[in-house]
Amino acid sequence: MKSISGTEVAKLPIDKNDRSIKTKNRFKIFLTKLSRSKTGSIGLLIVLTLFVMAIFAPWIAPFNPGKIDTTQMLVPPFWSDGGSMAHILGTDNLGRDILSRIIYGSRISLVVGILSVLVAGAIGVVFGLISGYYGGMVDNIIMRLVDAFLSVPTILFCIVFLTVLDPGIPTLVIVIGVTSWVLYARMIRSETLSLREREYVKAARTMGVSNFQIIKRHILPNVTSSIIVISTLSVASTIITESSLSFLGLGIQPPIVSWGIMLSEGKEYVATSWWLATFPGVAITVTVLGIIFFGEWLRDLLDPRSQGTNS
Amino acid sequence: MSKKIFYLMIAALMVVLSACTTTSSPSGEGTTSSTGTEDNNVLTVSLGPDMLTWDIHNHTTTATEAIHVNVFDYLLMRDTDGEIQPHLAKEWKQIDDTTYEFKLTEGVKFHNGDDLTAEDVKFTLERVATDETLKSHGDFDTIKEVKVIDPLTFQIITHEPDPMLISRISRQASGILPKKYIEEKGMDEFLKSPIGSGPYKFKEWKKDSQITLVKNDDYFGKKGEWAEVLFRAIPEDSTRVAELLTDNVNIIANVPPSDWKRINDSDNSEIANGPSNRTYMLFLRTQEGWPTSDVKVRQAIDYAIDDKALVESLLDGGGTPTLTRVNPGNVGFEESLYDTYNYDVDKAKKLLEEAGYKDGLKIELAGPTGRYIKDREVMQLIAGMLEEAGIHTEMNLLQWSSFTELRDQEKFKEGYLIALGSSFFDAGQALDYYGTERSATINGYSNKEIDKLLQEANTSLDPAVRTAKYQEIQKIASVETPIVPLFQVDQFFGVSDGIQYTPRLDELIYIPDVNKK
Amino acid sequence: MWRYFTSRLLQIPIVLLIISLMIFVLVYVAGDPVAMMLPAEATQKEIQTLRIALGFDQPFYIQFWNYITDLVRGDFGESYKYGVSAIGLVLERLPATLELATASMIMAIIIAVPLGIISALKPNGIIDLFATGLSALGKAIPNFWLGIMLILVFAVNLKMMPVSGTGSWKHIILPAITLGTAVSAEITRLVRSNMLEILQQDFIRTARSKGQKKSVIIFRHAFRNSLVPVITITILQMASLVGGSLITEMIFSWPGLGQLIIQAVYDKDLPIIQAAVFVTAVMILLLNLATDVLYRFLDPRIKYS
Repeated sequence: MKSISGTEVAKLPIDKNDRSIKTKNRFKIFLTKLSRSKTGSIGLLIVLTLFVMAIFAPWIAPFNPGKIDTTQMLVPPFWSDGGSMAHILGTDNLGRDILSRIIYGSRISLVVGILSVLVAGAIGVVFGLISGYYGGMVDNIIMRLVDAFLSVPTILFCIVFLTVLDPGIPTLVIVIGVTSWVLYARMIRSETLSLREREYVKAARTMGVSNFQIIKRHILPNVTSSIIVISTLSVASTIITESSLSFLGLGIQPPIVSWGIMLSEGKEYVATSWWLATFPGVAITVTVLGIIFFGEWLRDLLDPRSQGTNS
Repeated sequence: MSKKIFYLMIAALMVVLSACTTTSSPSGEGTTSSTGTEDNNVLTVSLGPDMLTWDIHNHTTTATEAIHVNVFDYLLMRDTDGEIQPHLAKEWKQIDDTTYEFKLTEGVKFHNGDDLTAEDVKFTLERVATDETLKSHGDFDTIKEVKVIDPLTFQIITHEPDPMLISRISRQASGILPKKYIEEKGMDEFLKSPIGSGPYKFKEWKKDSQITLVKNDDYFGKKGEWAEVLFRAIPEDSTRVAELLTDNVNIIANVPPSDWKRINDSDNSEIANGPSNRTYMLFLRTQEGWPTSDVKVRQAIDYAIDDKALVESLLDGGGTPTLTRVNPGNVGFEESLYDTYNYDVDKAKKLLEEAGYKDGLKIELAGPTGRYIKDREVMQLIAGMLEEAGIHTEMNLLQWSSFTELRDQEKFKEGYLIALGSSFFDAGQALDYYGTERSATINGYSNKEIDKLLQEANTSLDPAVRTAKYQEIQKIASVETPIVPLFQVDQFFGVSDGIQYTPRLDELIYIPDVNKK
Repeated sequence: MWRYFTSRLLQIPIVLLIISLMIFVLVYVAGDPVAMMLPAEATQKEIQTLRIALGFDQPFYIQFWNYITDLVRGDFGESYKYGVSAIGLVLERLPATLELATASMIMAIIIAVPLGIISALKPNGIIDLFATGLSALGKAIPNFWLGIMLILVFAVNLKMMPVSGTGSWKHIILPAITLGTAVSAEITRLVRSNMLEILQQDFIRTARSKGQKKSVIIFRHAFRNSLVPVITITILQMASLVGGSLITEMIFSWPGLGQLIIQAVYDKDLPIIQAAVFVTAVMILLLNLATDVLYRFLDPRIKYS
């Protein structure tokens, strides 16, 4: 935890939710709470597995995911007739190993998922804080912008942007980020609105502390738990958006491996070689499920109000 | 209070429902699309996406023309073997370098009973030849005017001698429009309920869903066997195949290779394939500063790619390796370059070494995805093959819209993959790409000898002379390889058992040729 | 109430203006589409001729002026590909999309409401676990994959349903399930958590202690009181249905707006994209407004700001 510097500010009372609890204790509580929730543990497990897969892909994957082998095309998974343990989940139409491609594909899902959430979060938090804290005309303008973005479905917005921009990972991250920041802005704004009226914020203002310092010291720390929860859950929807766009051919392009591309390449074979489109679909579903489980558990943990309504 | 909520809810639901039911009438109800084979007098065809327009001059897609050709007659038409035959025009002769005279068949009537005369021909051809906003304008702008001699006789006069005129008026956008009907009703009305003189009459177009045509019993030529023909819009490949296998559609176009076996193994349908006039090729830059400006590098690329393996592993043999893009059935075809290919990895490596790239070479090739059959896979296999020969290839795979932009603005690097057709069936169209003028906007290739031969061939009206010149050009080009032809690709249809259908080289679906077995 | 309503209504044009400006900037960045409109075999001369004929060689300010003046008249220009009015094409396809969205919504409600109520009555019971698992899965499955799998199982293998297209009532079932699953998951969770909350409140306890029938308690008291948020969220979910319909329509060849948009994106047919985004935005803005008004009308505790 960061020590508090700045003499003026340090003297002010800080909203102490659980800051007084020592880090060690908090970790212990975290673990006990986690062990009580089945879905939370499963979620965390899936998320950790995903990270391990993505980071250690070159060591885990049995093959180079781009290695074309025309002698091994459309080999089924090992338990089917004609399958072998060499290609556990079979091969695709160019003889590439599906398991290896799924392992490498997790990288794109995570990278695009996390980076676009960071972009969206950064824009959304800044706009939300400004809008909620300053209010008035600024708030009005930002909220109309929010309305504009909310009135077009995210996926449609992404598609429109991608019609014009050349596809690629950076484009995709920016496009998904720019089209999904409103969620953060709205939530941060409403929380800031109520925090602004708290006594200690008012006190800080009368003492002449700059707005920037107030936002930084008193408002931002109190919205972080919400930011963490929304961000986690957003990674799930972002992964679906990325795979949808890649499925449509507007997102990631080969030779980069993405689950969405695997699905779009495999959909043609769905009736003849079912494993091509099935496994990446399962990979997306499990990943998203894991993140949702973990994120919801995190929400229950950080937001006591919602406890009990979710098992 | 709670009652109020309840009534409000009901009211809200009713508003939503009524809004939807009143607006849904155009797409709901009506003829069901699943009547395809239940009634054996109805033929259901799906070519993929919906047709674009009924304006024969303002689109450039074969799938749209494939429908138009059943409603509008051409002056001359190719038969199933690709030979040009009399159609609306029963005979023609050349008067001088720039004038052809045609005689129309007597007694041809439009679907509203009006006679088809030379005035209609003049109206149609001059419309497309003069209106620059029409997408087919570029294919007809050699025509200066059409002179009406008598109701059944007319002359086409070109600006300059045009050896391709006959091909020009027997291909896409060559239908004849009803002058009187269009002038009376206006173009907008015509596009809503078009009439032509063809074997089928327009009945209905439900956009993005289906087009219904009914048989023209008074047709002057060969009549169709089907009382009604439905063209259904099913853009998704796998969905189209599923519709064929469940007997909802009788003929589907563009069957992906993955489904060939499944269709042939099924008990209700099979694959009908035949050559198309489309060739996959790599365009390579020849301007200074690019490694591919060295002919040896270009040849190395040619030798590094195993055309046969591309066709075998990706298309299950549904194509023909080639060293020229002029295919059989085209004027100027050179047999020695067709159905053969260069593949020798060692030679490729040696050529690279000679060119000074002993330690390997790095190039970038662009390619479209989802435009041509297996385009994305062809590109990936090529990259793998080039890698083997020591040419590290970065792929830049793009959606068609981004790809055309890249191509149009010449933003590609060493080269790109594309599959081009040649709708005139004339080498003059295909070989224009080797001429300095055209190349300047593509890959910068320039060869004085080819320019001279092209000039001679394009101004000569003697077919034998033209053929000889074109064959010579192809021989030079196959050594110089500014363009590396890979293979001619087949077209693949899925056809219900009980229907006799042979794919045409021009990819049209001419219903009178689709028969019951 | 009316003042609130009119002020909200007045915001709509401002929001639409922001959207149109964003679209114009995008279109301007996109460059001209002429090369796309002609076949790959076209020569540069042909491209240039068409470019001039269609006015794409005009300078920026003229194109901008044309755009604005056309927009004011509700004219988005002609589709590059179809050569007819873009807004006309969009409005022509809209009913089919609304039809599909309504069917999906009805299907979602039919499944979600009973499931939500039952699982709230016995939290952590078997049905609850089943419902919770199902709704989590419903949110996690990408709908394009679900659509492909449904076609494979029910249309191709079992031949129970038509594969694609429109016509009979059967045609709408698979696309409606594909599109409605995620919404259904959302509504189930919402009904469940609202019911749980209300069942713990004092007036329910009072009713229980008075010895009222269980069914009366559940439906007259608990369910009715949990309706307000359910209705509003349900209407708001229509927006996500419009988004989801893009891919669903493509997979099932449903002749709606979604298919038109996806095809227009592939063809870079910008007038259609502009018109479609605009129409979608108007639709969603009106839905949001309706929800807001309805919510305030139904729940008198909320004050109009």
